[in-house]
Amino acid sequence: MQNLELPINSESPQILHIDLNSCFATVEQQARPLLRGRPLGVTNRLTKNACVVAASYEAKDQGVKVGMTFSEARLLCPDLIMVETDPPKYHYVYKKLVRIMRSYSPNITMKSIDEGIIDFHGTRENVNRRPLSVIGHEIKQRLRADVGCWMRCNVGIAPNRFLAKTAAGLHKPDGLDIITYKNLRRTLEGMKLTDLTGIADKNQARLNAAGIYTPLQFLDSPAPVLSRKVFHSVCGDDWYRRLRGWEVDDAEHDTKTIGRQFVMDDYSASEEKVRNRLAHLCESTGLKLRHKGFCARGISLYIQYKSGDAWHSRKAFKSTFFTSPEIYRRATLLFNQHPRLDNVVMLSVSCYLLQPATTNQMSILEEVNKEIRLTEAIDELNELYGNYTVTFANSLGANREIKQKIPFGSTRYFELLCNRA
Amino acid sequence: MDQAELINKEVSIVAYYFRNNSRRLRCFPKCMEYDGRRVRFTETGLVHPTQKGKRMIHVFDMTDGNADYRLEFDAQALSWTLIAITDNQYSSIAPKLRTAHQF
Repeated sequence: MQNLELPINSESPQILHIDLNSCFATVEQQARPLLRGRPLGVTNRLTKNACVVAASYEAKDQGVKVGMTFSEARLLCPDLIMVETDPPKYHYVYKKLVRIMRSYSPNITMKSIDEGIIDFHGTRENVNRRPLSVIGHEIKQRLRADVGCWMRCNVGIAPNRFLAKTAAGLHKPDGLDIITYKNLRRTLEGMKLTDLTGIADKNQARLNAAGIYTPLQFLDSPAPVLSRKVFHSVCGDDWYRRLRGWEVDDAEHDTKTIGRQFVMDDYSASEEKVRNRLAHLCESTGLKLRHKGFCARGISLYIQYKSGDAWHSRKAFKSTFFTSPEIYRRATLLFNQHPRLDNVVMLSVSCYLLQPATTNQMSILEEVNKEIRLTEAIDELNELYGNYTVTFANSLGANREIKQKIPFGSTRYFELLCNRA
Repeated sequence: MDQAELINKEVSIVAYYFRNNSRRLRCFPKCMEYDGRRVRFTETGLVHPTQKGKRMIHVFDMTDGNADYRLEFDAQALSWTLIAITDNQYSSIAPKLRTAHQF
């Protein structure tokens, strides 16, 4: 009931959100000057069915959207140039951005590869005395100086993370906006529900069903209506606080699963080929698992077919595992149960029931210890000469097809994945 | 489509080094000899490090105003490699370079 009386947060904004504009496309245009000012799409694989993962503003002006296939995008924009993603470039820009952000506050959070948050709480009295808008402009300037003249970013300043992200999206590209308790209503007035981060079609339908059609109506809705009638959960309270500028999104989540998935390069692949891709995915999952210092007790396998059907199986074991051969062996146990193997479109392996590997004791079985020592030796070799230099015989050649792509969302494995052979 | 022509050959580079505010010198590959011709670079697009195992490789994306060049400098072997050239006629040359296996 306390939430009913919660006012709009009148604290001066202390959160600064930075969002690189069309990050991958802008970085490609920065790297290749002759692409500047031209419609550009970035894709993970240069095939006609691959989708655009980033589009330059010139391409967006012609109707190209992220998620379109190359064929669809080419219909809208015949001059569209497609380039393949180049993770080390984005990693470099990411590191530069982190360095710039860290120079203002130790309290930074990278939300993904192209956006981050600086929390200025506790630094304003002695270190960052200038207005945040001045700091925002300085960050834009530093990004251009450190990376290149084509780089642009949006900056949003607000009392909480959600409103700061909203502010960063108001004037793209290269905008800087501030949302405070004074202009909150005016800002929300000009927006649609789906303009709010976290409100897509389904949540919009939920809100509409409760008679909420605009962000302002959303803001004015009491907490009990949101939690009991709209979201039927604590999410309603979160939205109530979030829209009023109170922080609810600063929680850190533990890693629950680690895995890898791959959209098949050949939809009519033979069983041998699918097993080859599976072996590589298991190896890659093991690499991530060990990089994070985890071992797992459960493994799950997901296969999607061309018809749209999917098959999924998971199994929890009593013993923990973290070596690649052991992941492959256990994944194979599940894989052998698959109902059919024609027209596999996507293959996914993930480990769950994770726990720190430091709790592992030495096994009384010498074979197990041997395998662990072998894995450590192989990891050392691969670190020295590049990932997959020493690899499973039955995954040979797969790393040419299953290339490491840019990670959306988390950037936890960036360092690991950029180490090429 | 990306019309990069893969070269992957060691080349001879004349590079200028500039002192800047940071401790490290800033490198600008000025001129490259490749295939019997001399290419004079006019602008650096992006310089970023990458790793091949433990070896540090500096990738230079350069342009001479007519084409974009991707160069790699191996900091261990101190050698320059021309990785790819991309013509500025990105779209118009696409049909010539596009082959069946790309689609």
